[in-house]
Amino acid sequence: MTVQPDEVVVTVTVNGETVRHLVDPRTTAADFLRDGLELTGTHLGCEHGVCGACTVLLDGRSVRSCILYAPQLDGCEVTTVEGLSPVPGELHPIQEAFRECHGLQCGFCTPGFLLTVHEFLSETKGADEDEIREAISGNLCRCTGYQGIVAAVQRADETWQR
Amino acid sequence: MKPAPFGYLAPRSVDETLELMASHGDDAKVIAGGQSLGPLLNLRLATPAMVIDLNRILELAGISAHDGDGLTIGAMTRQHDAETSPAVAAACPLLAEALPYVAHRTIRNRGTIGGSLAHSDPAAELPAVVTAVRAEMVIRSRSGERTIPAEEFFLGYFTAALEPDELLVAVRVPAVPARTTSAWQEFATRSGDYAIVGVAAVIGLDGAGVVDRASIVCSGIADVPRQLSTAQSALVGQEPTSAVIAAAVAAQHTDPPADLVGSSSYRRHLVGVLAQRALEAATERQEGNDDRPTG
Amino acid sequence: MAAVTGTSVRPTAPPGLIGTRVNRVEDARLLAGRGRYVADVTLPRIKHAAFVRAWPSHARILSIDTTRARTLPGVVAALTAADLPPATLVDGNWIPGLAKTPQPVLARDKVRFVGEAVAIVVATSRYVAEDAAELVEVDYEQLPAVDHAGRRPSGHVPILDELPDDLIYDRGESFGNPDLMFRDAPHVFVKDLALARSMAAPLECRGTVASYDPAAGSLDVWCSTQSPHLLRRRLSAASGVAEHRVRVMMHDVGGGFGQKIAAHPEELAIALASCALGIPVKWIEDRRENLMAAPHARGQRVHLKLATDDDGRFLALRARIVGDAGAYSFNAASALIEPYITARVMTGVYRIDHYGYHVAAGLTNKSPVAPYRGVGFIAAQTARELLIDEAARSLGIDRFELRRRNMIRPDDFPYRSCTGLVFDSGSYLEALTTVERMSAYDDFRCEQEQARASGRFIGLGISPYVEPTGWGTEAMNQIGWHSFPSNDSARVSMDISGKVTISIGTPSQGQGIETTLAQISAEVLGIPLDDVVVSFTDSSSAPTSLAGTRASRAAVVSGGAVGLASQDLRERILKVAGALMETDASILTVADGVITDPSEDAASMTVAEVVQKAFQLTEIRSAEPEPNFTATRFYDPGATYGNACVGAVVEVDPQTGGVRVLRIVGAEDCGTVINQVVVEGQFIGGMAQGLGGALLERLAYDENGEILTTTFMDYLLPTSTEVPHFEVEHLESPSPYTWRGIKGVGESGTIGAPAAIAAAIADALAHTGSTVDRLPMLPEDVRAMVEQGEDRG
Repeated sequence: MTVQPDEVVVTVTVNGETVRHLVDPRTTAADFLRDGLELTGTHLGCEHGVCGACTVLLDGRSVRSCILYAPQLDGCEVTTVEGLSPVPGELHPIQEAFRECHGLQCGFCTPGFLLTVHEFLSETKGADEDEIREAISGNLCRCTGYQGIVAAVQRADETWQR
Repeated sequence: MKPAPFGYLAPRSVDETLELMASHGDDAKVIAGGQSLGPLLNLRLATPAMVIDLNRILELAGISAHDGDGLTIGAMTRQHDAETSPAVAAACPLLAEALPYVAHRTIRNRGTIGGSLAHSDPAAELPAVVTAVRAEMVIRSRSGERTIPAEEFFLGYFTAALEPDELLVAVRVPAVPARTTSAWQEFATRSGDYAIVGVAAVIGLDGAGVVDRASIVCSGIADVPRQLSTAQSALVGQEPTSAVIAAAVAAQHTDPPADLVGSSSYRRHLVGVLAQRALEAATERQEGNDDRPTG
Repeated sequence: MAAVTGTSVRPTAPPGLIGTRVNRVEDARLLAGRGRYVADVTLPRIKHAAFVRAWPSHARILSIDTTRARTLPGVVAALTAADLPPATLVDGNWIPGLAKTPQPVLARDKVRFVGEAVAIVVATSRYVAEDAAELVEVDYEQLPAVDHAGRRPSGHVPILDELPDDLIYDRGESFGNPDLMFRDAPHVFVKDLALARSMAAPLECRGTVASYDPAAGSLDVWCSTQSPHLLRRRLSAASGVAEHRVRVMMHDVGGGFGQKIAAHPEELAIALASCALGIPVKWIEDRRENLMAAPHARGQRVHLKLATDDDGRFLALRARIVGDAGAYSFNAASALIEPYITARVMTGVYRIDHYGYHVAAGLTNKSPVAPYRGVGFIAAQTARELLIDEAARSLGIDRFELRRRNMIRPDDFPYRSCTGLVFDSGSYLEALTTVERMSAYDDFRCEQEQARASGRFIGLGISPYVEPTGWGTEAMNQIGWHSFPSNDSARVSMDISGKVTISIGTPSQGQGIETTLAQISAEVLGIPLDDVVVSFTDSSSAPTSLAGTRASRAAVVSGGAVGLASQDLRERILKVAGALMETDASILTVADGVITDPSEDAASMTVAEVVQKAFQLTEIRSAEPEPNFTATRFYDPGATYGNACVGAVVEVDPQTGGVRVLRIVGAEDCGTVINQVVVEGQFIGGMAQGLGGALLERLAYDENGEILTTTFMDYLLPTSTEVPHFEVEHLESPSPYTWRGIKGVGESGTIGAPAAIAAAIADALAHTGSTVDRLPMLPEDVRAMVEQGEDRG
């Protein structure tokens, strides 16, 4: 049995707010967000980097927060699903498009999809269906058959002013 | 599925990293992008006492082109950055072609070129690619820097030619010789997954259209990226027609291992199919490009 | 946009919310990251559990030593079966001939599959709990594993002592006279099909938070479940806490698909741990646990024979089905649920009067089998439809035509199948014709010829089907699952502000029940949709539903109960309104929350005003002595059957064996549609799961019973690039036997798609003479079909 290593300090800006926490270094970024910061919108579907439910933006890029560790967030900016909409109670155009197009059922995979799509649409306009399917292929959804999600990306591509 | 306890160090320089690696020895594990190590940690298949994080070492990231003389890709260069780099597209089209097959965008955002190579998974794309383009691996320890050819770097399943105090700092890709083209082919049950078999092919022609260089390297059929040396030799000195390629590929013996995703004979069959496709694709890219390397 | 086609019409209901495409009301919170799943539940003093799970597949437990685990800092307890009351999970033995196989909550003397829970560690965090779980030392004496139903390894030791041959069921039944028909039949076609084990794999794994309060003697449980009342019964029986002091609470559930119907040993173990320790205990299953130890599904071998005459008329059918039960049957006859349903629904949408089956189910050293969306139907559908195609090829009859000749016709309804299913209404021929049109069948044949000439292999598969939906008592009886009454109620309650709260025992796992039930109630009551909410299910207040959400039943059963209760409530509101407006209640109309008297210059009151007055004016009690605006109704529908037809077009790469699904088209009929958005979501999502089962998903074990697929890198769910754009059309044949003709659609797509895809592969490779004999068809299996064809020359 290894001796419990010391905790380390993490200073991270999450959804625009800078926080300082002591963490056990092995804490995954996902658990840190969920348990440490009580941002439970980030979900864990596999904890080995396959399903994409835990996807967040790290310095603007999508990453799997289940295979990232809390100390690695130090000095970084993180955006979670809770930070997508600038106005509490309102939905971001991507979120709105998911609602309009039935892009979710149980909602468990949804936060990861939203952030993946956010990155994709930030970089791309007018993508065709194949490109959209490729862009979201790293996120698993068990409910929708992806049809509503693809439609939502197409819708958000048009509605999101960016 | 939570990792066993580990300590965490985040050095800012290669020198600092090498000191830490030397002092922690086998107890430490270096984490680059963490896209392979992370799952292993969470599954407790890797249980290092200390994790040394390379993500803050700015000097390790970046791609430098050497004026027509190839590229140096820093070990911490993100796969997505390499994939979208014009320098990589120009100087190592095979790498640019293979990178989109590495998992998914989100993984490539974080995953690094050096991390994938040092991890030495024989099923992965990058070890086969760097072997096929005869890249060199730049390795540092406190005692200095050494360079070894890619084909000597991969020693076995998840085993690279790195001593515990050594760090892969870069991969050096030679310039593509004239009239040399390449192609990547792979087959996976599900897109984005490790391929059952992948094939990197590089074909060089002389002025008469005869093969003067052939590199065919497979992923997924051995404990290391496997060169199809019999097929390579059979191609040299021939015009690469489909029939010649087929004969060369048929002459190649392979003995792939069996696992959940494919029997030995199925993998062997795929080697033939994909090598043929990759070599034909590489050959097609020769047309209309007498001197310039193409992708 | 999908079109509504077909001859069927909506029943007499006026145009209203039922049948309207409305966006789901649950979506806003889920999109904002404010869904509340069980992993999000936390409580004061809560501690975290990890299970110690068996690594051998079959072994006697010689000893368990928790000393080292207990002394690790942060560990609260390490509990084994010896530390907990001797609880087992076993359900009633409803099927004559099915042997009972009780499952201990924690393994006691023996472990019977890899992943079986042996001990629980409770600690300050899941991290520490997992650290400590590694320190629990279990000594095993390994025994030979039974890796196939019916196989006896050398040195065989029965999985359960009382079942020396590991068989839990071995029976058949015959309808008509299949022996005679087969004896005299001009043609007999034979098909063998093996279905690998696969599983529901909801994105959210299982999870339980249990909080026992020793002072109050009460047990509060939050759980990711489909059946809160069933779980409450099991928790009460295991813990000894009286049922009214056990409270099961549900919030959002991240998918179930059947896996979360049964009460699971882990859920009971967590509750028992909380009882033993007097603190809240939380267990959130990880993916490895889920793939290893959560219920599996499928795992069947079907041998099917079809007798026809020269014109291709189906004379008789015979089936032999072997089911791989896993190590226990802990759920409602779960070990039998796959093969038995397969046997009972084998005749499908066809007129077949002579049929015999034999079902054998055997224990194996694998995770137990439980329902998964399309349970039993998929094996029957895939084996039968592949066999019909093979018969069509052999007889030289077009595949659509052969089906048409044998299909139950519109004037046959109600049609009683030989096994006793009474098909209430449907559009079987119309669905088939719709798919024929959608798939442009004639053009496809030309395209296929041309493609083949240029070395490309495309194929079309068709899969028409009927399925019992909206399972109530009568549906259970018809399928042969006797003594399993359905007993669901719903409560519709209007508060003083005129807003409605619905309470049900059939919670949503993503199906949109919050929306569809609100649509029903709002339409019946004549109030805006926004004025109705469906509350999260809490067993202490929700009307009992022992069956829970399963078997495509919530829209039919709870929908009917909500509709009836809303009707009662509407009558009470109008009665009070009549008294207040001094008019005959029967002439009042209500729409958009306003009650109007058409005779009095359209005098009106809002529903809210009526309710407020009823609460506040005691004089109203002469008209309505009990002015409470809560109605609870029980509803147990007649048996109803949805139908559909799925068509698939695939391209096979004969060199790699890779299969690309180019198109999937579907015509579905779930009776009265409440919300097309939800219906399409269910149907399309179901087809995507079916695609996974056809091409990707299998749980693999080695010969020692060791599971090889314990991550999402090995168990492959379809991604957006494996799945095509689905083209869907709707038909609408309301049921005469259910409230408003609603039928249910939860499982439909999952049942139909595998057969269509499998048949499309067979069609693409028809020239090889090879047949599809298994699911999933992995690339190597497809390649083997090509090679067998090459070997045949």
